[in-house]
Amino acid sequence: MEIAFSVLDDQIARFRLDKSSIAFANSLRRAMIGEVPTMAIEDVKIYDNTSALFDEMLAHRIGLIPIKTEEECLIPRDTCSCGGIGCPSCSVLFTLSVEGPGMVTSKDLISQDPRIGPASPDIPVVKLIGGQKVVLEARAIVSRGREHAKWQPTTACGYKNYPVVTVNDRCDACGHCVEECPREILEIRDGRVAVIEGRLESCSLCRLCERACLNTGIGEEAGIIVRSDESRFLFVVEGDGSLPAKNIIRQGLDYIRTQSQGLAAQIYEISGETRDEND
Amino acid sequence: MIPVRCFTCGKVISTAYEEFKRRRDTGEDPKRILDDLGLERYCCRRMLLTHKEIIDDLNPYQ
Repeated sequence: MEIAFSVLDDQIARFRLDKSSIAFANSLRRAMIGEVPTMAIEDVKIYDNTSALFDEMLAHRIGLIPIKTEEECLIPRDTCSCGGIGCPSCSVLFTLSVEGPGMVTSKDLISQDPRIGPASPDIPVVKLIGGQKVVLEARAIVSRGREHAKWQPTTACGYKNYPVVTVNDRCDACGHCVEECPREILEIRDGRVAVIEGRLESCSLCRLCERACLNTGIGEEAGIIVRSDESRFLFVVEGDGSLPAKNIIRQGLDYIRTQSQGLAAQIYEISGETRDEND
Repeated sequence: MIPVRCFTCGKVISTAYEEFKRRRDTGEDPKRILDDLGLERYCCRRMLLTHKEIIDDLNPYQ
């Protein structure tokens, strides 16, 4: 398995996964979405709310604010030594107290722990007019995306097969496929259709070019053929700001490793065979 | 109030609304504003394009 990054910054990563399988690519995608722990506000205690929004609505909006987390603060509540009651090592307390007029934003959420806070300071929560007031206490806990989407570290996270575009001898460079391609990846070069340098990865495998070719009356077989490479994948991972994209990928891969090692250990135990450590 | 995140993909879009509203009211083409704000997918774009702010109408009533 090999990974080659084409874009890697704090929020977005694009990479190519080589020498892999569909099953692995999908398990990596699922691990990144659903199994990477992040922090989000779970319990809200409302002391005063005279705003136009109902308490539930307010709590829901606050819950969706991504919380930036440092990795070492992450202990899921169910594995914490406090037994799930909520202690400073598995949860963080936020307080919010604002009086109108003005907009309540995520920067008004004052964290107990200076290392942890909202990923963006400008997320509007509610607009207040003079005399309105919101006072509340919110507790953020660590959990996983499979529990609720607010704990997903990713927004857009997915993959596609690597496209393989081949042009055979039947191509007569009529240019119909070049016009048809919605991603504009084709051109006519040296009397033949070819993929523009560096644009192959934009191909969406829609195969409109194949259809355009057949519609010219070329016969049973098209002059351009689009197939997908079953062992290479193009991934897009976009974070919501709670974790850097690199951490999401690393923790997703870590999760697959611990899960598969656990499975292997169980199987060895059942079958009674001795385990080869190099497996 | 503008939803905190895009309903479909979950990207935080509410931070872009103030600027979107200001620039739209000056008559700028929404397509250009959305491109500037980095809202690439059409799910996120529709969140801003189709939002109707009613908090100011609700605020006088308790």
